[in-house]
Amino acid sequence: MPFEIMVQSLIYGIFVGSLYGLIAVGLSLVFGVMNYLNVAHGTLLMIGSYVSYWLFSVYGIDPFITIPLVMASLFLLGSLLYIGFFSSLAKFHSEVRIKNSLLVSFGLMLVLDNVAILLWSADERTITTSYSGMVFDFLDLRFPYVRLLGLCLASMTILALHLLLTKTYFGKAIRAASQDWEAASLMGIKVSRTYLVSFAISSALAGMSGALFCLSYAVTPVIGEAWSIKALIVVILAGLGRIGGVFFAGLLLGLVESVSVFFVGASYQEVVGLVIFVLVLMFRPQGLFTR
Amino acid sequence: MLEIDAIEVFYGDFQVLWGISLSIQQGEIVALIGSNGAGKSTLLKAVTGLLKPASGTIRFKGISLDKEPPHRIVALGVCMVPEGGRLFPEMSVIENLEIGAFIPQVRKFKDETLKWIYEIFPILKKRTKQIAGTLSGGERQMLALGRSLMSQPTLLLLDEVSLGIAPMMVKSIYETVKQINQSKQLTICIVEQNVQMALKTAQRGYVIETGRIVKHDKANLLLGSKQVKEAYLGLGSMQGDA
Amino acid sequence: MTAKLKNRLLLIGIVIAVLLILPMFIKTEYTINLLLLVFLYVSITQSWNILGGYAGQVNIGQSAFFGMGALVMRLLWISGLPAYLSLLAGGLSTLILAAVIGLPALRLKGAYFAIGTLALAVIMLITVGNIFPGVSFLPGKYLASYSLTPRYYLSLALMVLTTAVIYLIVNSRLGLGMIAIREDEEAAAATGINTFRYKVLALGVSAFFAGLAGGVYAYYQASYYYFTPFELIWAFEPLLIAFIGGTGTIIGPIIGAVCYVALRELFAITLGEASVIVFGCLFILVILFLPGGLIEAAGKVSKLLVRLRKGPHKI
Repeated sequence: MPFEIMVQSLIYGIFVGSLYGLIAVGLSLVFGVMNYLNVAHGTLLMIGSYVSYWLFSVYGIDPFITIPLVMASLFLLGSLLYIGFFSSLAKFHSEVRIKNSLLVSFGLMLVLDNVAILLWSADERTITTSYSGMVFDFLDLRFPYVRLLGLCLASMTILALHLLLTKTYFGKAIRAASQDWEAASLMGIKVSRTYLVSFAISSALAGMSGALFCLSYAVTPVIGEAWSIKALIVVILAGLGRIGGVFFAGLLLGLVESVSVFFVGASYQEVVGLVIFVLVLMFRPQGLFTR
Repeated sequence: MLEIDAIEVFYGDFQVLWGISLSIQQGEIVALIGSNGAGKSTLLKAVTGLLKPASGTIRFKGISLDKEPPHRIVALGVCMVPEGGRLFPEMSVIENLEIGAFIPQVRKFKDETLKWIYEIFPILKKRTKQIAGTLSGGERQMLALGRSLMSQPTLLLLDEVSLGIAPMMVKSIYETVKQINQSKQLTICIVEQNVQMALKTAQRGYVIETGRIVKHDKANLLLGSKQVKEAYLGLGSMQGDA
Repeated sequence: MTAKLKNRLLLIGIVIAVLLILPMFIKTEYTINLLLLVFLYVSITQSWNILGGYAGQVNIGQSAFFGMGALVMRLLWISGLPAYLSLLAGGLSTLILAAVIGLPALRLKGAYFAIGTLALAVIMLITVGNIFPGVSFLPGKYLASYSLTPRYYLSLALMVLTTAVIYLIVNSRLGLGMIAIREDEEAAAATGINTFRYKVLALGVSAFFAGLAGGVYAYYQASYYYFTPFELIWAFEPLLIAFIGGTGTIIGPIIGAVCYVALRELFAITLGEASVIVFGCLFILVILFLPGGLIEAAGKVSKLLVRLRKGPHKI
């Protein structure tokens, strides 16, 4: 039944979309708050994947259980990267920040990707657990446990982030700094610390994406660039603003890609998503989900 | 309370303030008047830490401010209502007010302070959930003032509060400012192009022209002086002298 | 003509003359190759410079135009059209691309224009990668008659042409308008400058020359993946080179390109595998510590020297 196949495909589209959404939220957090374009964001995903992989293959710890650990280590890494490479850009205004952060993060991507190749070789790695193949059957549709859990975790994390941004003082400080950093500092907000933590959170999100990615796909040291690009596309599709919108745009992209396989075939599925993206850029450049 | 001593401030290579000295005593309202571009806002930026003086000192209650970052200066009790209000446009009225109480020592009193702000600016209570970017000019200025008051400052700096606001509203805001000064003993520095309003509200005034203090006197005397009248109130020799 | 201008033209003339006769003396292909690359980088960076450095519209997707010029040139050339016509067609096709995707992009301001152009570059990369996934091989007869020397001259000619055109534009009313837009777009509009038209012109010139540069690349490379000239590195390199040399100057891209190629080669030769890593580190260091590029650094050094010579008194 082609209809069933299509629905199954849509379901997989949502699963992939949740990864798109998760990685995009991280990128949009940094871009929205401090106008830094971090092209190395996808590389952080890659590092997250490897951390998860090594914890599993060397110590045998279940990859879902190590997610908090992966996130914590990427949080730390992100903090160090921010302090070392991005903090000095804060004194510039928006356009210079974008240009410089783009170039700096590009340099970082070159360095980190190639260090990864030296350390871990270009071989593919993937995590296979005892339950990797297990599937939840519902109405003749298959929901792999691993992906289902991944979707749940991603959604919960986004929800938690949303609560952090709206209900806590620190989250409000982040939002204030993103709207007017000088005014924020006049309120007693230490903007440099706000930027640091935002960047670190963004890295932690990339880490989680990486951990989830490794369970379903093969990771190599060079996947970073493609994922940065994917994240960028989703961010622009959604527009800057609520992270819920960005996450949703990720799901949407995943859906669109999976549907278009039926119409244009697998090799062009990305192109359909991109065409839509161009149309959005032309007719609604502020994004689909902004006010 | 605030002692500024011979500061020189630059924007890059361009000098804006030349040897500015002034002082503000506790509990008083001091006006800083001058025309556009004279350097008034620059002076406030130097006090609040957004700009650093190249030389000279700024002391608040004896503590040196000129090396401190803005957020620490706020924690010391110096708060500025920036020019144009600089509200957080996508946050609501209440969120803007809450951010005003960000510094830890005032955060625990947030609810009480909020009650007080709503008393002096009832319109803010009415519009509490409204997004700041959609408020009218006068409401925005009130919110900006309220937001700064949330941090329970001991020195409040007002930067061009009257800009773009209807005269009736300006009068009302400055009356409120005077009330707050009296009821809370809050020291206030008013920076204004609206010389009338500033000198009527303040007790003392400094006149600043092209980056230098040119006159300093009691507010009512300044208001009556021929110089100020001619330069700032448009009352030239055609209209007669003081 | 002032004496200063005369001297400058003389200097430029000498340099160009030297570059012209160089292939007769240097027989090693390696050096000619390197110089060719330098000229190519100057061309693409100058093309970026007119929109990004002078008109102030920072564009991080120049690879879209570079790649387009390369693609069209290559396809036409391989199918039989003479190289120079294909090159021109490549440039013109880039103009069409600029009209289609660049014009709407110009509606975006500042930061959004920047990411918009990056996004468009990404689209071109992925789309071309999907439609033309394979390698572009040079047909046998072209390969047999392949000679580096004409390509060297072509690249040199393009560099001279691009630099000359930029120079003329910058010193004309058009250039003045562009700089005004860069400094303060609103103020420029208030003085009666049709900012949109100027930006469009800057975009057109920028795209055209980037397309020609792409065509030169397609003419020069024996075989490469069709999507290679669309890769993002071709968008970031002009940015970096303009950075190193100094944006908004005419000599900046030249200095930057020379430094960039020289350093890259140096690292590749001496460091082998680790070269990319060291290169990446250098990349980062330049941006963090030399925000104004070498020209600004040179300016600061000379100011410092003047101050030292004149002693402790204020100038």
